Amino acid sequence: MIMRERITSAGIHAILIAYSLLALFPLILIVINSFKTRKGIFNEPTALPLGKTFSSDGYASVLTNSDFPLYFGNSMVVTCVSLMLILLFGAMAAHALSEYEFPGDSFIGVYLILGIMVPIRLGTVALLELIVDLGLANTLTALILVYTAQGLPIAIFIFTEFLRSVSREIKDSARIDGLSEYRIFFEVVVPLVRPVIATVAVFSMIPIWNDLWFPLILSPGEETRTVTLGVQQFIGQYTVNWGAVLAALSVAILPVLVMYVIFSKQLIRGITAGAVKG
Amino acid sequence: MATLELKGIQKSFGDVNVIRDMSLDVNDGELIVFVGPSGCGKSTMLRMIAGLETVSQGRISIGGRRVDHLPPADRGIAMVFQSYALYPHKDVRGNLGFALKHAGVAQAEIDQRVNAASEILGLSEMMERKPRELSGGQRQRVAIGRAIVREPDVFLFDEPLSNLDAALRVHMRVEILKLHQRLGNTMVYVTHDQVEAMTLADRIVVFRDGLVEQVGTPLELYRNPVNTFVAGFIGSPAMNFLQADAKGSRIHLSQSEICTSHIGDGRVKLGLRPEHLMLEENGAIEGTVSVFEHLGGESFVHLTLPDQQTLVAKLDGELSFKPGDTCRLGIRPDHCHVFDMNNIRIAS
Repeated sequence: MIMRERITSAGIHAILIAYSLLALFPLILIVINSFKTRKGIFNEPTALPLGKTFSSDGYASVLTNSDFPLYFGNSMVVTCVSLMLILLFGAMAAHALSEYEFPGDSFIGVYLILGIMVPIRLGTVALLELIVDLGLANTLTALILVYTAQGLPIAIFIFTEFLRSVSREIKDSARIDGLSEYRIFFEVVVPLVRPVIATVAVFSMIPIWNDLWFPLILSPGEETRTVTLGVQQFIGQYTVNWGAVLAALSVAILPVLVMYVIFSKQLIRGITAGAVKG
Repeated sequence: MATLELKGIQKSFGDVNVIRDMSLDVNDGELIVFVGPSGCGKSTMLRMIAGLETVSQGRISIGGRRVDHLPPADRGIAMVFQSYALYPHKDVRGNLGFALKHAGVAQAEIDQRVNAASEILGLSEMMERKPRELSGGQRQRVAIGRAIVREPDVFLFDEPLSNLDAALRVHMRVEILKLHQRLGNTMVYVTHDQVEAMTLADRIVVFRDGLVEQVGTPLELYRNPVNTFVAGFIGSPAMNFLQADAKGSRIHLSQSEICTSHIGDGRVKLGLRPEHLMLEENGAIEGTVSVFEHLGGESFVHLTLPDQQTLVAKLDGELSFKPGDTCRLGIRPDHCHVFDMNNIRIAS
């Protein structure tokens, strides 16, 4: 019996380890090659950067010879502001849908969630025209607006499901305690669904940070480039500065990683335990 | 402290009438219990008093002041919920003081009121704990404490003991009764448990399908139920109802005379409480034992009468019956309840 359990456990771990390696492999490849010379990258792509192949020129050119810090800042601004707007409006819309009854509530619910099924890129031309008409071309605002619209449907979908599970009696209790509907949302409901907020944040953040399409179309200007677009300057028509490209990508991973760590701390389950009889 | 006045209250959700014309005056300091099966509208009525549901029609006044247009916080009420509804991210102290903090009460007074309430309920040892670290009974005490701290005119309880286990429920019932004696506030208590209703209430309001069936003290309801519904709801085990014949103001069950009543000839429903039936050698009721349940000092005998009607008797003493035994029971005529075929009580 014990033997069988051990074999099962070993099998499960083998599968998980294999999957982890598979998932991490491209990441490791980017990081180790970012520390290598051009020759080193092409001769031995999987070797560690040791001896003659080691070079930090890529990082040097990223951090000194380009506007990379600016791009980095742009990406941060776009991602953080979009994320805040998605979380704020998504959670509020979901609260309204799950808490209140009003005429057309189910229609509005479906309308808000329908966006999941419509790829926003299909509307790129119309979006570009709209952004130009609004005078927002080549601004970070354009990106923030588009990303907020892109992120809202899935956020509302996830939030609605979870907010429905927040006990009605807790909200009623807050009403009797004299809280306004806004304060009930911010002081009672939001603390209860922190894990969900973290989940939605992680879900929404990564596609925004990694997006190349909209920065390229809506704000390709020198001042408003994001990291993913900025990296393209190292990719020329005839030569590609691979060391710099990989270094830029390695650095670009960091903020996502940091934000993930921050949010995952919030992913502590069971915070509602003890609030109501489970 | 205050009176509570309900006048012509109606509530409908769409086409469904949940409360149909309810009027009630609750005296200052009275503990009134709303009781009834689930879906009878008693909780909806409580939520309307609290201001969590709007009133479709009618008037609610607390202490002579009309409140049905006011938000819950301005009505002078506090409510204790079945699921406790504590704020899970706040400790006991935070939970108790939350409403006051919001109302802008000075910190010194909040501390004083919170400490007073925690003393009454024996919560002083656990002020820094989060709700998840408390047991069910402790959580319910915090929920009650949160109500006390607000110093309301009227306390509202929505099935506060339903989530507790049986032993704790009995204990908390006594606590609530003590609390009522100590604070002397007007309290409205909703439950579907008739034992809670009987033990706690100054007066009981029996609900059915959005209508009030009867209002009265527990003993009034026990002694003089207006119809078979109230009669069957109050008392445990429930009252037996038997089809009987009335002839010349005498009520007969299987040819034996049981009691008298002012009613013309015809069929009636005879209500006999299990605890009023006694073993009697020449008793008027004879039946065959189908089930016999021991409870130690008392026992339940389930009888089948010759006309196939069934009946339960609660008998004192250590008895022993076997299924198939014959058993004769008697009852004092003044303990008989007579109802007409529309289930309405006939004055005896």
